[in-house]
Amino acid sequence: MPDAPTILERPQRWDAAFDANMTDEDVNRLLFTAPFSGMDAEKFPKRTPLREIIRNDMRILKFRKGEIIMRQGDYGTSAFLILQGAARVVLKPDLAPSLLGRQATGKKGVFRTLAQLWNRSRAPEVLPRSILGQSSGVSARQNENETRVFLQDVPRILDQHRTAQMTGGEFFGEIAALSRMARTSTIFADSDDAELLEIRWQGLRDLMKYDDALRTHINKIYRERALASYLRATPLFKYLSKEQLDHVAEAVEFSTFGDYDWSGEYKRLAQSGSVRPEKEPVIVGQGDYPNGIVLLRAGFARVSQKFGGGERTLNYIGAGQIFGLNEIAHNWRNKDATTNMQFSLRAIGYTHLLIVPTRVMEDIVLPSLPKNELPPPVAKADDDIDSPPPEIATREKVGAEILEFLTENRFFNGTATMVIDLDRCTRCDDCVRACASTHDNNPRFLRHGPSAGRLMIANACMHCADPVCMIGCPTGAIHRESFAGQVVINPATCIGCKSCFTNCPYDAIRMVEARDERGEFLVDQEMKPIAKATKCDLCVENHGGPACERACPHGALTRMNLNNLDSLSKWLKL
Amino acid sequence: MTRFHRQLCAGLIALIIATAGALWLNAKYSALANYAYLTGWALLAGMFVLTIYNVRKKLPFLPLGKSETWLQIHIYLGFFTTLLFLIHLKFGLPHGWFEIVLAWLFVLVSGSGMVGLFFSRVLPRRLATRGGEVIFEKIPALRHGVKTAAEELALGKDAKSPVIAEFYAKRLAVFFSGPKNFWHHLVESRRAAGALLAELEDLRRFATEADREKIGKLEALVRQKDGLDYHRALQLALKLWLFVHIPLTYGLMIFTILHVVMVFGFSGGAR
Repeated sequence: MPDAPTILERPQRWDAAFDANMTDEDVNRLLFTAPFSGMDAEKFPKRTPLREIIRNDMRILKFRKGEIIMRQGDYGTSAFLILQGAARVVLKPDLAPSLLGRQATGKKGVFRTLAQLWNRSRAPEVLPRSILGQSSGVSARQNENETRVFLQDVPRILDQHRTAQMTGGEFFGEIAALSRMARTSTIFADSDDAELLEIRWQGLRDLMKYDDALRTHINKIYRERALASYLRATPLFKYLSKEQLDHVAEAVEFSTFGDYDWSGEYKRLAQSGSVRPEKEPVIVGQGDYPNGIVLLRAGFARVSQKFGGGERTLNYIGAGQIFGLNEIAHNWRNKDATTNMQFSLRAIGYTHLLIVPTRVMEDIVLPSLPKNELPPPVAKADDDIDSPPPEIATREKVGAEILEFLTENRFFNGTATMVIDLDRCTRCDDCVRACASTHDNNPRFLRHGPSAGRLMIANACMHCADPVCMIGCPTGAIHRESFAGQVVINPATCIGCKSCFTNCPYDAIRMVEARDERGEFLVDQEMKPIAKATKCDLCVENHGGPACERACPHGALTRMNLNNLDSLSKWLKL
Repeated sequence: MTRFHRQLCAGLIALIIATAGALWLNAKYSALANYAYLTGWALLAGMFVLTIYNVRKKLPFLPLGKSETWLQIHIYLGFFTTLLFLIHLKFGLPHGWFEIVLAWLFVLVSGSGMVGLFFSRVLPRRLATRGGEVIFEKIPALRHGVKTAAEELALGKDAKSPVIAEFYAKRLAVFFSGPKNFWHHLVESRRAAGALLAELEDLRRFATEADREKIGKLEALVRQKDGLDYHRALQLALKLWLFVHIPLTYGLMIFTILHVVMVFGFSGGAR
């Protein structure tokens, strides 16, 4: 007799509220507070009523003066509304990294480099006092449930930096939350009674969907602060005048697809073996009428084509790339022989995108382009299904097996992925030894990982384009070296909360128990060991680049941006 | 042209030019009185450069260039040094036990290097083609898991087949007990594992329907164990040659230094 199936209650959206301690009293109070008091509860569907959005997708936080609410460069999933008191945004110049709990790293000098010869610790994971005692300019304090980091010398900051105060009713953080971009400013509490409402991304999305005023307000902010500069930097619009660009910006629609918490979802799907393109949200379907070009602002999307009973991947595209231009340009030039979308575009994980409508493309953008910059006419997929255009068909360059492997494992997220060619790798572990020598005898990766054919992606931090590990770090210990730089962890401010360790979809972060110079475990007042998160830092402090790559005698290991498969294809052909 | 082919061409061209040059110089100047000193010092310099590659490996945190570049130099200089060695010996045989030991050390170091080069170029591809990538240090634990599973099938409390139990005791217990067929795997022969699988297949004639299912599972475990043995054999070969090459290099360097001391000590001063 077959085993009876395990029956579970289907998980619902609000099974886990943002804050389980939100009371009816809190919700009632918020319903009488702007902007919720101005919202029409009738416009919200029965499944997601306004009251439940407030109860489940929001939480009330209290801050004391100097406590950091958000840091520049962090990745957050929520927006904030000031309910009471004041907050202060740092405008210029930016705060020093040490004031934000980050490590002010630089290349090692000659002596420190040479000192690695005799200074290596015998015990693993030794954290010298000099690192732990780093004067960071910030301190942490434990509030009811979480750790808050506060600035120690607010008057000095006010003296040395241009800042602006924000008071009750003001929103902030919504652009970064919606577009999954790094926060652009640091904001800290400016009064001891600061009370803020934190709204997680899902709630903000629903509020925008059903409340016209909030949507208009956020769209306006988005267009003013983020869109104009983004469009100006997009090569497709470089021939437009300021007026034309304003017109385009006015017509642009923006949208999000997929799940913001894709890393957790991906882990679950990967474990159950059910990562399938057919299950990903469709942004544009093959055969659809081309409504506009899609500009990816954040996240990734899969370009696929119907094949038999399923979909085969042709390529994946990331931030800054465009989809649908070929079809729209073709139709603009061949009004008698128009074509529909040749391929599908599906969100992988979370995707934030802009859509420039076909009408605007035809009236403003396409006429501005020189003839040689227009894409070639579309050969219909039905005519030659096996030969998609070369700019689409990355599968021809790296091979179908490798492309599906990279896509299904979400490896395109890596900007410095450790790629090993198994045809050349002699398994000598020189790379691991080099890593250990460079990190005080502690290797920061595992020379093993998923593989397809001759390609192996080793278990090392990939320094992701979408660094989900950085979401939720309470002290800012995990951060980027610069806006496009390596993701590093400051051991001095890491509190061992495992937030990054749990978030990383690739299991590239390890928790270790730190020791002192004598090799004894570091413990807290309750005699519990002090845990720290560790991972590959791409040898950011060393000269010459990552030691693992330089140490490979057979050129079998490289650190590569897998968002651009041209370099992978070239490397594999070497 | 791939990078591998480019490296090969550049290396071979450099080696041919250096060889031709050395042979020409040898023909022209071999009659000089101090010629043995000249070739000896050149040989020592070559050996020194070859040896410091290992030092480079121990200092990965210093910006000393890519190990890959160092290895290319190491390989081609290694070939050229072998030629210098022959020139230094005047293409003859060494005399006396000290020189014979020194020459043997040189031959063994060069020979192990060439074996290592061959292994490095051939075995990784074979491992990748076979699949089932596994970390060398984890093989014993994985092998133990496979052995336990096989034992459970053949001898566990649910095992009721005397046919399978007997076959396990006679043939499979030895196979699962530790690494097997090193040389077969090294020369890419499947004969040993194939024979065992054929015997297992033959057992089906005497088995019940339930036993056949177990035989199928045992066959899968034999293949799994064979895969682990294959990886162990090839990965071990990729490591073992270095255990010959590096210690002998140090021995060679010590004997070489003693050789230099003796040459100067007994020659009445360098000329």
